[in-house]
Amino acid sequence: MCNQVRELRAANGDTTQQELADQVAVTRQTIVALEAGAYTPSLALALRIAKFFNKPVEKIFWLDE
Amino acid sequence: MSAMEKVAWTELLVAVTTLVVVTALYPWLGNGATGAFGLLAFVVGGAWFLRRRGGAVVVDERDRAIERQTRNAGASAAWQFLFLALIAVGLGQMYLGADHVSLRVLNWLIWAQFAIFVGVKGLVGVISYRRQSRAA
Repeated sequence: MCNQVRELRAANGDTTQQELADQVAVTRQTIVALEAGAYTPSLALALRIAKFFNKPVEKIFWLDE
Repeated sequence: MSAMEKVAWTELLVAVTTLVVVTALYPWLGNGATGAFGLLAFVVGGAWFLRRRGGAVVVDERDRAIERQTRNAGASAAWQFLFLALIAVGLGQMYLGADHVSLRVLNWLIWAQFAIFVGVKGLVGVISYRRQSRAA
């Protein structure tokens, strides 16, 4: 699964990984793994991230086909 | 390094240390060396890393997923060890013509099974966290 969390963080006033992690209730290491594509988030986490960036979830996460 | 990764390292180090100490003591203490398996109790020290600091999240969904995976791996390895060891002991006793298995042998097997559970659980945890952080 691919995502553009890193790009969205940069576009969102350089939100740090820790700030995003605190907002979506995960550890910073999970954001690091998620941005690297090493971790596929649960639906709940994907929705929380989408809510944080105020974007549809499919604009942030998509299948790598 | 996340709190749960530190817990995984603790489990691995405690299990390896315990097995080394038990092996080292066996020539002197014989069956008394099983007492060194008590070192496995230090595994609860890993809980120290899980203390809450402020409002920060300590354990999240990724940690819980890895924890499930490591617990399954540890339990699987421990049970396979126990089955294979019991088969080996049973066959050995039959070959020797003995009609019973010593309680001391069973004591060793149960303690070793527990040590293997803790060790494999820690090892799989460390590998899982390393793999994800290396990809990052």
